[in-house]
Amino acid sequence: MNFGDAGLAAFLGAMLAAGLVAAVPLLLASLGEAVAERAGLLNLGIEGMMLAGAFFGFLAGYLTGSAAAGVAAGIVSGLALGLVFGLLAITLQVDQVLVGLAITIFGGGLTAFLYRDIFDRQNPSADVAPATLAIPVLRDLPVVGPALFDRQVLFYAAFALVPLFAFVLARTRFGLDVRAVGEAPFAADAAGIDVARVRYLAIAIGGAMAGFAGAFLAVADLKIFQVGMTVGQGFIALAIAMVGRWNPWRILVAAVLFGMLRSLGNGLQILGVDVRTEFITMLPYVGIMLALVLLAGRTALPAALGVPYARGRR
Amino acid sequence: MTADRRLPSLPVGMRPLVSSLFAILAAFVAGGVFLALRGKDPLAAYAILFSRGLGTSYGIVETLIRMAPLLIVAVGLLISLRAGVWNIGIDGQLLVGALFSGVVAAEVVGRVPDPVMWVVAAGAGFLGGVLWAAVPGLLRVRWGLNESITTLMMNYVAINVTAWLVKGPVKDPAVVPPQTTLIPQENRLPDLFGSGVHIGLIGGLVVAALVAVLFRSTVLGFMLDVVGKNRQAAVHAGMPVGRLTILALLLSGGFAGLAGANDVLGVKGLFQGNWNPGYGFAAFALVYLARLNSLWIIPFAYFISFLAIGGEMMARPLAIPTSYVEMLDGLMLLFFAVAVFLERVFAPAVRGGATAAEPNPEVEAGPSPALAGEPLAQGGIGGEPVVIGGRQGR
Repeated sequence: MNFGDAGLAAFLGAMLAAGLVAAVPLLLASLGEAVAERAGLLNLGIEGMMLAGAFFGFLAGYLTGSAAAGVAAGIVSGLALGLVFGLLAITLQVDQVLVGLAITIFGGGLTAFLYRDIFDRQNPSADVAPATLAIPVLRDLPVVGPALFDRQVLFYAAFALVPLFAFVLARTRFGLDVRAVGEAPFAADAAGIDVARVRYLAIAIGGAMAGFAGAFLAVADLKIFQVGMTVGQGFIALAIAMVGRWNPWRILVAAVLFGMLRSLGNGLQILGVDVRTEFITMLPYVGIMLALVLLAGRTALPAALGVPYARGRR
Repeated sequence: MTADRRLPSLPVGMRPLVSSLFAILAAFVAGGVFLALRGKDPLAAYAILFSRGLGTSYGIVETLIRMAPLLIVAVGLLISLRAGVWNIGIDGQLLVGALFSGVVAAEVVGRVPDPVMWVVAAGAGFLGGVLWAAVPGLLRVRWGLNESITTLMMNYVAINVTAWLVKGPVKDPAVVPPQTTLIPQENRLPDLFGSGVHIGLIGGLVVAALVAVLFRSTVLGFMLDVVGKNRQAAVHAGMPVGRLTILALLLSGGFAGLAGANDVLGVKGLFQGNWNPGYGFAAFALVYLARLNSLWIIPFAYFISFLAIGGEMMARPLAIPTSYVEMLDGLMLLFFAVAVFLERVFAPAVRGGATAAEPNPEVEAGPSPALAGEPLAQGGIGGEPVVIGGRQGR
């Protein structure tokens, strides 16, 4: 293809914008998962929580016409499943992988059942108009201006959560508690930390963020729901939290990278590069395994990850 | 066991099934609430589910046909879970196995007698599953990556790789849709006594019997169990833990691939793009409800298959989407988790306090040769590499 300078800038800007929008659900879910994993909870239910957030977010947005209501419903539904995870994995001390899988299966089945039952093959889109915010001056920058500074408020909010999570995890009492119960729950307990309470808070945050991620996908980005629309993004987010070693800034980098990877196909098609779509589609899944391999050995999982905590039993 | 006074009538071996029954009943009740919330009569729905699914010849035949791949997949999943390996990549391994068997079957059909073709294509399916499971296996052993994440990722890679292959390199050029060459109906797996149920079901039962033998009377099965129950003990006993882990994952993938071959040879006659039966998640519910027991998976395979078929049969008259059954699978697993907890509370700890959702598998299993003091040098089944003398240290 032949671009003029303006055309090239527009193309790069559009690519950047698409990649960043695709990165947001990954970023949101993996920030939440970072807190959960730090607290010792491996949440394979994240995929089901995202789907629940996407469906209930879409439903609320569709019924009320309000994007805010949609996002709120998505967050609440993710939070609810997070608490189910907490009940089973923390209080009842059932194996976390089993609980996570059960939640993922349930979330997928529930949302598919409700969507097909309520909308009966009509596949409507939600008539919502999420608030946008164009930042003066910055929006006029070439290439990055429209991609970064003329977006939905939710887009900014997602990225603004990165420093917030970094601060909470690194510099607050709660963040310290989270890391303590993930590394040494017995010591944390002895030091007077309520292990179960901290873990519940962590999985509540993880669930709410997964619900937020799903709602962003369905309400803010696509404005539709599709059965199984997250296609493994929840699992990718889980891995991104590991690749980013539970540091929100590194998670941001990884999420943006994988968001770019997800939107690469469209860009290549526009350029007229003949690459099979299947190869493009599977890039993030292959990429995350490669990333895990590259970082293997350099990253120590929280010592108590996946291990239920029971007082008086080691 | 001191739990006798509460469940006096149940033999010890049946007791774990109480939890499974609880999980099933609770899931039906919770699922019924969802139906009622959507303005449907749950009792009418369940009446149709049971009467048509269990009581009509169509329901029974379809259930038996669907049972074969579910049973084979469950056998594989059982092996991996018993060895403490989370193979969540069943669906991907099944797709690759189905593609392999579809290609091989189309290649050799007509040139060899049909039974030879079936065996070769089934072997190709098994191999495809093994190859797909080998990637997460390698990642686990070489780089220590948690297989639960990598097997999941491999599912999505499999969907795309098989879709690409069937659109291009292995596509039947004579037709438009992306699919392998169709195997003629008369060359596919024959019916059992003209019942409409193809003999893949027999294959499934044979495979289930083999795995029962594996865990009840072979050293390999015993070692897999030890690795699954207490990895450190297995290491200290000098068992080749890494190789056993890989082996469990490969076998698990192989059986998933075999299930794919079953559907190609018995039902579909080809591999199609976009075909993804998604047995994996249902198989998790199946294997856990069967309490990781190699014989109980047979009736539970029938049950899970009946739910899927009955769910399809109740979909039309009552306008209940078939995904209702998928939700039921999830609910059964969730309530199973609750049941495992209740078990721990109400039954005194068996051995040093079980920690997780690991139920007591093979409750009625006889003494293993290793425990009975027999020499450990008998090796495994099927020529699998077994390091002789599990206790001799390294």
